[in-house]
Amino acid sequence: MNNKNLYLPEMATIQEVIEETHNIITFRVTLNNQEAMKNFSFQPGNVGQLSAFGIGESTFVINSPPSRMEYLQFSVMRSGEVTSNLHTLKAGDQIGVRAPLGNHFPYEDMKGKDIVFVGGGIGMAPLRTLLLFMLDNRSDYGKITLLYGARSPLDMAFNYELQDWLDRDDLDTYLTIDAEFEGWKHNVGLIPNVLLDIAPSAENSVAITCGPPIMIKFTLQALEKLGFKDEQIVTTLEKRMKCGVGICGRCNIGSSYVCKDGPVYTGAQLKELPNEL
Amino acid sequence: MALVKYLKSTDLKSWLAELAQENRVFAPRYEGEAVIFAPFDPEQEIFIKYAATAPPKKTVFPQSERLVDFMYSKDPEDLSRIKIEAQEVLPQGTAVVFGGRPCDVRGFTMFDRVYMAEEATDIYYKARRDNTSFITLACDATENTCFCHWVNSSPSDPTGSDVLAIPVEGGFLLKAVSDRGETLLTSQLLSAGENRVEEGERVCKEVADSLSQAPDLANSPKKLLEVFDNIEFWQDVSAKCLSCGTCTYLCPTCYCFNITDETQGMKGSRIRSWDNCMSALFTMEASGHNPRPTKAHRLKNRVGHKFSYYPDLHDGVISCCGCGRCIKSCPAGVDIREIVLKAIAFEPTVVEG
Amino acid sequence: MKFQKELKDSIRKALPELDVVIGWCGSFDPLHATPHFIRREEDIEKLEIGPLSVHNLATYLPGLRGKKVGIVVKGCDSRSVIELLQEKLIARDDITIFGFPCTGVVDQAKIKKALGYVGNVESCDMSDKSVVIVAAGKAHSLELSDVLADKCHSCRYPDAIISDIFVGDKSGEAVPAPADYEALATFENLSLPDRFGFWLKELDRCIRCYACRSACPLCVCRDHCAAESREPHWLSQENNVRDKLMFQVIHAYHLAGRCTECGECQRACPVDIPVLMLKQKMNKEIRDIFKYEAGVDPEETPPLLSFKMEEENITEKDW
Ligand SMILES: Cc1cc2nc3c(=O)[nH]c(=O)nc-3n(C[C@H](O)[C@H](O)[C@H](O)COP(=O)(O)OP(=O)(O)OC[C@H]3O[C@@H](n4cnc5c(N)ncnc54)[C@H](O)[C@@H]3O)c2cc1C
Ligand code: SF4
Ligand code: SF4
Ligand code: SF4
Ligand code: SF4
Ligand code: SF4
Ligand code: SF4
Ligand code: FES
Repeated sequence: MNNKNLYLPEMATIQEVIEETHNIITFRVTLNNQEAMKNFSFQPGNVGQLSAFGIGESTFVINSPPSRMEYLQFSVMRSGEVTSNLHTLKAGDQIGVRAPLGNHFPYEDMKGKDIVFVGGGIGMAPLRTLLLFMLDNRSDYGKITLLYGARSPLDMAFNYELQDWLDRDDLDTYLTIDAEFEGWKHNVGLIPNVLLDIAPSAENSVAITCGPPIMIKFTLQALEKLGFKDEQIVTTLEKRMKCGVGICGRCNIGSSYVCKDGPVYTGAQLKELPNEL
Repeated sequence: MALVKYLKSTDLKSWLAELAQENRVFAPRYEGEAVIFAPFDPEQEIFIKYAATAPPKKTVFPQSERLVDFMYSKDPEDLSRIKIEAQEVLPQGTAVVFGGRPCDVRGFTMFDRVYMAEEATDIYYKARRDNTSFITLACDATENTCFCHWVNSSPSDPTGSDVLAIPVEGGFLLKAVSDRGETLLTSQLLSAGENRVEEGERVCKEVADSLSQAPDLANSPKKLLEVFDNIEFWQDVSAKCLSCGTCTYLCPTCYCFNITDETQGMKGSRIRSWDNCMSALFTMEASGHNPRPTKAHRLKNRVGHKFSYYPDLHDGVISCCGCGRCIKSCPAGVDIREIVLKAIAFEPTVVEG
Repeated sequence: MKFQKELKDSIRKALPELDVVIGWCGSFDPLHATPHFIRREEDIEKLEIGPLSVHNLATYLPGLRGKKVGIVVKGCDSRSVIELLQEKLIARDDITIFGFPCTGVVDQAKIKKALGYVGNVESCDMSDKSVVIVAAGKAHSLELSDVLADKCHSCRYPDAIISDIFVGDKSGEAVPAPADYEALATFENLSLPDRFGFWLKELDRCIRCYACRSACPLCVCRDHCAAESREPHWLSQENNVRDKLMFQVIHAYHLAGRCTECGECQRACPVDIPVLMLKQKMNKEIRDIFKYEAGVDPEETPPLLSFKMEEENITEKDW
């Protein structure tokens, strides 16, 4: 047993704030305790709880990869009390961080395989960490395909690196938006449909998908059509969270606690869980 | 043999007063028409005629507690910046709880598996748990709502306790059941207990024998999962439920909490307070999506957690101690026993093809 | 009860047209009843009505909106139904009301007090006048009137005020004058610090379960209650007795002129806090100022839900 205080956040400083879209901003933070920052280690898919002291805490995935440790990056979509408050913070402001929490993507099991990323909206955040991690360890993986969709170009986060992703020849990037938009040179159409058009092979592949529930639902159907088996699909789940460490009791689906046993689940694991998404 | 002592009923208060010199002592007290655990007060009667309305859960898991205090201050070098300092607030001191019942105190062992897990220990809980001793009162009578014997326990189960007090003629037979319990039994007010051990055993046996045959609940984890998707089943059993959550706050094993911040001026605290899965807000997500939108979904989780998910994670242990409070104090008379038995007996009607 | 068979027959007749009929049936021991949701013909037999039928079933109506619901009501329960109709929280066409002549329901707290211990009741026989309870092998005989709920002693409407089907004979008894809030008057004679001290002491044991709210037929915000709202942030989560009192004050204000004093809030409280008194205080003021009694006339509008340029009994202009 260790005596770490599970609820005491590390104080951190926001180094940079990036306005991603009208409702998403990205924080790059470093822990104030330099020793702690140096020793900080995490796995792609781990999340953190960010504190706005006096308002509360909320859960966000660490979307920078463990292979780039100058800062920890979180992207926050404005939705309620805490996220609205976080949106008022500026570079230099103090923030509390409890991380890493949760499980991570089974990237070891993915070695030597072709990888298909399918991300929708803010769901691109958890994919980003794994994508960058894989690009930093490129030789471990086969062909990598990314399909990233948003409602419109204005809703697309990580704009500043999309061009790089498109340009790379070790990555097949497809971008899509829901409806025609002036000046848009990429795909138009719902993610599951575009996925069927791209039709990546299921042979020796893994698909990793994150996004809003409705998108996930149809993406899973599309993947099935393409021949992906449950074990070849990985996704992340979302539940209201508080403690983030499996104690406060609110994030369970049957006997699985999403904060501790998740947020990453394979399609096969999902089928084992009771139906309560 | 474990240390045994005898305490005269008339000496009970003096003994607790002695213990109160070094510890915070809690004992049951009659207030309104309710029996609650309150700090020992020599001026007030100790009420042990029957089990308390609310268990002594709050002595280790307070209704509300500060986890972290924080303070804002202006950064003297740059007045536009706010500096924040956060500091943990750990529980201090030792406590002794007298008069919990076997089911009440066994409830903490359900907490222990969750709060003191190898990989993540809750140091607030641990500090209180390690520093709180339980002098548990064996039951000399049972109630219609008692079913400790359905869930591998009994009216004299010492699990989780430090001393078991068995009511005998004129007083109590005190049995140490832990090392810490032995240290509690050093008072001059206590006399030798060996000659009453037999009487104590007889009392316990009589009560145990008075309980009706217990049904077999071994199948409950599996059966509850089988009816998970049967929403009519859950709508039926939850129809009269008001979704108030009283059942969970009075439950010695319900351990869920909320974390919220409160501020006053330049200071504030992060607080943890009781919360429960019967509340609609418990699982409400920022998007407005709620995976448990109705009381049927929520009651399913309450029963499912105790009789299926918890046992699934913890070697088959059902996280209900059978104290019966959720039945007795439910404003609508929802009976968890009835629901579990219904689920166990449930046979899906096979539609002939 | 004499009319029980008649009631079952009329429910049997109405059930095919209804999704559910709510009544009462036996519970975990002979001293308790529990709400009974009748969906199938075979559920009807279990129906039992009597002094143990304490629950106000009107609480379930707003949650069953859109369904065809039958409901068995005591006189006091019918007032909650009227109030819900007035506020358009339920639709008259959707509900079928079964009334009966009520002779009072027990207050479980009084029985508990009289017997000292009610944990193992073996039988309970109720007649018009007396209650015989056998517990732990011992028989206890009580006067029914000693264990009736306070509200029953001052009840003016033992027969449902509104009903589609009324079984049994209307009690026809003289209706006593409105409650004169005697207990309340005694309390109000205490000094301010004493009154405040009383609430701080009583509410200290409140566990903030909000059963008082969930059991109230007219607390219709349900999942959007001020008690848990963060924006606006009315109450803190600290274990602070002032916050607990604050919630009771909020509840009393939100119920002012709407509360029919059914007493469910107090009955539901697991730790027996006398929260009804706060509502009685509000009702007394409403009665004095607006000459209004909640839940009596379906066509009326509760005074705090309406607006008049000049109130007859509020003379704010000539101070
Ligand atoms: C594993 C995981 C990873 C996530 N990653 C991201 C991310 O990278 N970027 C992003 O923008 N959002 C992410 N979310 C969602 C984000 O946590 C919620 O949008 C956020 O907590 C809403 O907080 P609020 O105070 O603004 O909302 P309110 O509606 O005011 O909620 C109040 C409190 O309830 C809890 N809560 C409410 N909804 C959620 C929810 N959906 N998930 C968890 N806790 C919730 C939080 O403690 C929150 O502070 C993630 C959620 C989970 C579970
Ligand atoms: S079971 Fe009873 S106590 Fe529990 S939430 Fe439902 S009505 Fe309230
Ligand atoms: S579920 Fe009910 S009977 Fe079981 S321990 Fe909790 S309150 Fe007691
Ligand atoms: S029953 Fe509900 S409130 Fe109680 S411990 Fe389980 S999840 Fe928490
Ligand atoms: S459940 Fe068992 S231990 Fe608890 S009060 Fe009843 S008899 Fe005693
Ligand atoms: S406040 Fe109490 S007495 Fe008034 S209507 Fe609600 S439950 Fe009944
Ligand atoms: S029912 Fe009683 S204990 Fe629960 S919140 Fe209301 S007053 Fe407090
Ligand atoms: S967030 Fe507390 S248990 Fe998962």
